[in-house]
Amino acid sequence: MEPKPAKTPILVRDLQSIQPAIAKIDRQTILLLGVFVVLTVFFGITRDTFLTGRSITSMAFQLPEIGVLALAMMIPILTGGINLSVNAISNLGAVLAGFFLVKLLPSNMVAAQPAPYVALAFLIVLFIGLVTGVINGLLIGYIGVPPILATLATMTFYTGISTGLTGGKTVTNFPDQVGYIGAKSLMGIPIPFIIFVLITLLTYLILFQTSFGFKTRMIGSNPTASTFSGIDNRLVIMKVYIISGIYAAITGILVMSRTMSAAIEYGSTTYVLLTILICVLANIVPGFGNVLNMFIAILILQVISTGFHMVLLGVRGSSFFKDFSWGVLMILIFIVNYFLRGKKSQE
Amino acid sequence: MAEEVLRVENISKKFGGVTALNNVSMAVARGETCCLVGENGSGKSTMIKIISGVYTPDTGDIYINGHHYKKLTPIESIREGIQVIYQDFSLFPNLTVAENISINQQLANGKQLIRWKEINRIAEEGLARINVSLPLDAIVETLTTADRQLIAIVKAMLANARIIIMDEPTTALTQKEITSLFKIIDDLKNRGISTLFVSHKLNEVAEIADRTIIFRNGMKVMEQDAKGLDVKTMEYYMTGRKIDKEAISFSKVDAVSISLLRVENLNLKNCYFNINFDLKPGEVLGITGLLGSGRTELALSLFGLMLAESGKILVRGKEVKIHSPKDACDQGIAYVPEDRIREGLFLDQSINDNMVVSIIDRMAGRFGFLKEKQKRAEGKKWIQRLEIKTPSGVLAAKSLSGGNQQRVVLAKWMASNPKILILNGPTVGVDVGSKADIHNLIRSLANQGLGILLISDDIPELIQTCHRILLMRNGRIAKEFKREDITESQLYIELIGASANNGRA
Amino acid sequence: MHYKILKTNEFIVFLILVGLSIVVGAVNPAFFSLATLFDTLRGSIVYFIMAFGLLPLMIAGGIDISFVAIAAVSSYATHMFLIGRGYQGGVLPYFLIACTIGVSMGLLNGLLVTRFNLPIFDVSLAAYTMWYGFNLFFIGATANFDLPRGTIGYYARFLFTVKDPFAGTTGLHVSIIYVIGIGLLMWWFLKYTTIGRGVYAIGGNREVAIRSGFPVSRVLLIIFGIMGLMSAIAGVTMAFLSRNFNPVIFINQPLDVLAAIILGGASITGGRGTVVGTSLGVLLIQVINRALILTGIPVEWQRLVVGLILILFTSIPALREQRAKHTSHTTEIAQTDQP
Repeated sequence: MEPKPAKTPILVRDLQSIQPAIAKIDRQTILLLGVFVVLTVFFGITRDTFLTGRSITSMAFQLPEIGVLALAMMIPILTGGINLSVNAISNLGAVLAGFFLVKLLPSNMVAAQPAPYVALAFLIVLFIGLVTGVINGLLIGYIGVPPILATLATMTFYTGISTGLTGGKTVTNFPDQVGYIGAKSLMGIPIPFIIFVLITLLTYLILFQTSFGFKTRMIGSNPTASTFSGIDNRLVIMKVYIISGIYAAITGILVMSRTMSAAIEYGSTTYVLLTILICVLANIVPGFGNVLNMFIAILILQVISTGFHMVLLGVRGSSFFKDFSWGVLMILIFIVNYFLRGKKSQE
Repeated sequence: MAEEVLRVENISKKFGGVTALNNVSMAVARGETCCLVGENGSGKSTMIKIISGVYTPDTGDIYINGHHYKKLTPIESIREGIQVIYQDFSLFPNLTVAENISINQQLANGKQLIRWKEINRIAEEGLARINVSLPLDAIVETLTTADRQLIAIVKAMLANARIIIMDEPTTALTQKEITSLFKIIDDLKNRGISTLFVSHKLNEVAEIADRTIIFRNGMKVMEQDAKGLDVKTMEYYMTGRKIDKEAISFSKVDAVSISLLRVENLNLKNCYFNINFDLKPGEVLGITGLLGSGRTELALSLFGLMLAESGKILVRGKEVKIHSPKDACDQGIAYVPEDRIREGLFLDQSINDNMVVSIIDRMAGRFGFLKEKQKRAEGKKWIQRLEIKTPSGVLAAKSLSGGNQQRVVLAKWMASNPKILILNGPTVGVDVGSKADIHNLIRSLANQGLGILLISDDIPELIQTCHRILLMRNGRIAKEFKREDITESQLYIELIGASANNGRA
Repeated sequence: MHYKILKTNEFIVFLILVGLSIVVGAVNPAFFSLATLFDTLRGSIVYFIMAFGLLPLMIAGGIDISFVAIAAVSSYATHMFLIGRGYQGGVLPYFLIACTIGVSMGLLNGLLVTRFNLPIFDVSLAAYTMWYGFNLFFIGATANFDLPRGTIGYYARFLFTVKDPFAGTTGLHVSIIYVIGIGLLMWWFLKYTTIGRGVYAIGGNREVAIRSGFPVSRVLLIIFGIMGLMSAIAGVTMAFLSRNFNPVIFINQPLDVLAAIILGGASITGGRGTVVGTSLGVLLIQVINRALILTGIPVEWQRLVVGLILILFTSIPALREQRAKHTSHTTEIAQTDQP
C-alpha cells in the first residue's frame, strides 16, 4: 500500500482507476461486445450457414450448458476461490438421475407414467448439486482447505463415484420426457436458453441486489476485513459453493436433456477450462464481476465453438483440434489481459 | 566530522497523482544512530525503499560510500552495505535459523552449491557477534518475533552492512526486548555500523537517537541532534500543531445505571489473567500498556475473535457468550481495529459499500434484497455526518487519505448503532485535523450514552479523552487511574516504568 | 536430535505404509513375495519419475497438471517420428529426443508463468488441454504397437528375475535404476544446490526470496524444465514397459501423482516436501491400489478412493493450521511471564 500524504488531490483521470466496476456497463463490456460483433461477422462471412435461423437456434440450444456452468464457476471466483468440480458435479447428477430412472426403477412403471418420475429424477440432480456444494463448502469454508486443492480433490471424488457406478459406460434409454426441456422451444426460443437467461438474471439479482451477494464480494475483496466487520465468512462461503453446485447440477439436467444420455467424462477438463476462460474474458476477479460481461463472454464462446465446428466440418478429429485451440486461446487471452491490465501480478 | 556513509539530495517521488516525497535531502554519518520520524504517509517508507533500491526516485541523487547513483537496484544497494530489516524481517518461515542467516551470503557470493557445515559456521559466528544463542536447526516460524528480529539483525551484520535500516523495529517487542535491542544498536555503533531507525514512537526516538530527522507530508521538516529535542517538539514538527490541552468538556458518566459492559475474572492462558472492569454508559475507558501487555488480545476476546478460557462477560447485566464477531455485533459491541488497511477496509470497493458492511443484513428486506439506492443514501448520510472528504461515495476507499479512511471505518461501526465501542489505536497514522475530529467524535458518542473502550499508546490522547485509564502489564491490570489524578508525564513514566521493575506487575 | 525424525510427516507416512502392507499381507500372504514386490515397483516406476519431476514445483507453491500431457506428447511424437523414418534401433534415441521435447514444453509453461505473471495452475490447465489436443490431432489418434526391433525386449529387461506364480517369471525392471538415479539427483538438487534451496525459499515467501536476491524467474524456469524432462522420461518408459505408444497416456493420472506428493508430506501451499516423503507417497498409493484389488473393489472405483484420499490428506493439514493460528498469538506473550 503506497503511503499517502495528508492532502490528496483527486485528479480526474485517476477516477477511472479508483471507481470500482459496479456499473453495469464498463470498459470490458464494450470490448467484449466489439469482439462478439467481429467474430459473428467473421464467421457469418466465411460460412454462409453460420447465421441461418437453424444455426442460431442450434447455438441457442447448446450455449446454455456452458453458460450455466460458467456462472457456476463465476460465483466462487468472486470470493477468491474456484470450483474445479463443476463439471464433475454436472456429470454425477446426470448419472445418478440416469441410474434412478433406468436402473433403479422397474421400466414398466416408468413407461406407464413417466412424467412424475422424470420430475423426481430432476429433483435428484438438484439434490446432488446441493450435497456436493455442502461438501465443497465444508472443506473450503470450515476446514480451510485451499479451494484449488479442495475442488481438485472433490472433482476426483465425484468423478470417481460416476466412474464406479457406470463402469465407464454411458447411461441411455431415458424416457422421452427427459428430452422435453432440451429439445423444445417456447415461442420459438429454445427452453434451455430461456432457463439460461433466467439463471443469468437470478445471478445478477443474487450478487448485486441481496445482502448475501454483497457479502460474497466483500469476502473476495478482503476476507480479513470481512471477518472483522462481523460477516460470517464460513457460512457465506458454504452458501456460495452450494449455489455453484446447484448451478452445475442444472447444467447436468440440460446436458442430460439434450443428449438423452449420461456419461462421465462429458467434456471433462475441457469444460472446466472453458468456464475459466469465460471468467477471464469477463474479467471476473475476487470481489468484482459483471454479470452482463459474463453473458457476452458466454455468447462469444459459443460463437467461436460453432464457428470452429463449421470450419472444421468433415475434418477428422476436429474435436481434438478444438481442444488444442481452446488451450491456445486461453493462453492468448491471458497474455492480452496482461498487457491490457498494465501487468498486474496475479498471485 | 565523521564521514558520510549515505547522502541523498533532492529526492522526489510520485505515485500516480500522489506526491510521496518532495525534494528531500538527508545524510547519515558513519557509526551514527539516526532516527527517521514521521507519521504514516509522511514519506519515510518511500525514502527507505528508494535507499534500498526497491523504488527509483523521479529526481535526485544518491551517494553511498562516495559512489554516485541516479538509479539504484536492490543488489547494488546491498553490495554498498545497505541492509534493510523490514517489518516481516525478510525471513523464510519454512527454513532453519542457520539457513536464514547464511542464505544471503550464499547468494551474494554467487555460490551454486551448498555446504551445510559452512552454513552452520557462518550462522554461529553471526549469532556470537551479538551474543545471542539460538538453535541452528530450529524452523523460523516456530520462533518468537523478538528472536526473528535478532536473526534479521545478524543477517544484516553478516552482509557487512554499513547501514542497517530498521523499519518500526519495536512494534512487536516487549519492553525487555526493546532494551536488548537498544543495547545491540549501541554495539553496532561501536563497530562503526550506522543505524537508520524508522519510528513514530517518540519516546524511543528520544532514548536512542544521535540525530533525528522528521518528515511530514513528503518533506523533511527538521533535522538536528537528538540531544536538544524533546517529545513535545518532535510532536509539533511531526504534526504541525502544538498539542494543547484545550478546554475539553467531558461527558458525564452515568455511574448509577447498570454497566454496559462488565468483565469478571477473564482469563486466557499466556495472554491475560484475572481481568476485571466495568464500563458505564457515557464513559470512555482507556486501556494502555506496552506490547505483550495483553490489551489487544483482550479487545479481540471482547469482540469474539479470540475466546477467553474462563471468566464472564456481562452486557447490561446479562452474561453473554461472544464466540464470533457476529455475536459481538448482536450484543451491540463494535470494534475499530488497529490495522485499518488489512482489518478494517475493503480498499478496492466503494466508500458506500465500506460503510454499510456491518449493517448489511439489517438493511436488507425480504429474501435479503437490497437496493443500490439504499446503500448510496446511507453512505451519503455518514459522509456528511463525519465530514469525509470525497467527491462521491462510489469512489473506491483507496482514494481517501488515512484520516478519511479511518472515518469510514468509524462510520461503518457507528451505522450499526453500537452500545459499546472498542477502539484500537484509532488515530495512528491519521492527520492532525482528523485526529482532533475523532477525539471530538469519541466525546460526543460518550455524551450520547455509549460506553467506549479506547486502547491506545498515545498518552495525550488518553488524557484528553478518557475518564479512567487502565494500565496493563504482562497480561494483568496493573493500575487504574482517574483522569483528574494523573498528568501526561506521570502516565508516561508509569507506562514504561516496567523496565525498571523488570517487567513485574 | 534423532527423536525429531519420529515427528516428521515422512515417518508417519512410513508407518502408514508399513501398517497397510501388513494388513494386506495378512489377507493375502502372496503380497509378501518378491514377485509382488517387484511387480509393485514396476508399476510405480513411472509415477516415481513424474512425482520427482513435479515435486520442486509443488514445493515452490505451484500446482500443475500439464506434466502428463508433456509425457504423452514427448513420447508419442518421438515414436511417430522415428517409426516414420523406419527406425529399428534401441531405446536411447527415444530418450534423447523425447527429453528434448519435454524440456522445451516445460520451459514453455515456465516462460508463460514468469514473463507474463500468469497463475501456474491456469497455465497448466490450458497446456493440458492444448497438448493432448495437439497430440491427437496433429500426431495421431490411435495407440501404436509398432515398436522398433531394438526396443521390443526392453519391457522384460530385469535386474533380478524371480518366479512368478501367475506370469512365469517376473523381475526387478532395469528402469528402477533410473528411478534411484533420478531420486538421488533430485534429493541432492533440493538439499545441496542454491537453486534447490531457492525452490524452498520461493515456496516459503516469494517476496522475501526476491528481496534476498534469488533469481526467482530463473529458478522457476529450471524447475519447469526439470518437470518437462522427467515427464518425458516417464512417458517413454511407460510406453516401453507396456509395449505401446498411446497419445492419451496418463490423461487421467495427474491427480494420482499429486496425491502421492501430498501424501508424502509436501505442504499444500508450498515450502515443504522431500524426495523421501514423495517416494513413500508413491508407494503408499500403489499399496492402496493393491489393497483395493484384493478386497475386490474393481478398477472403476479407484478414482473415488484417490479422491477420498486427497480430501482427507488436504483436510488434515488445514485443520492443523487452524489450531496453530489460535496459539501463535500466545507464544510471544509467554516470554514475558518468565521472571
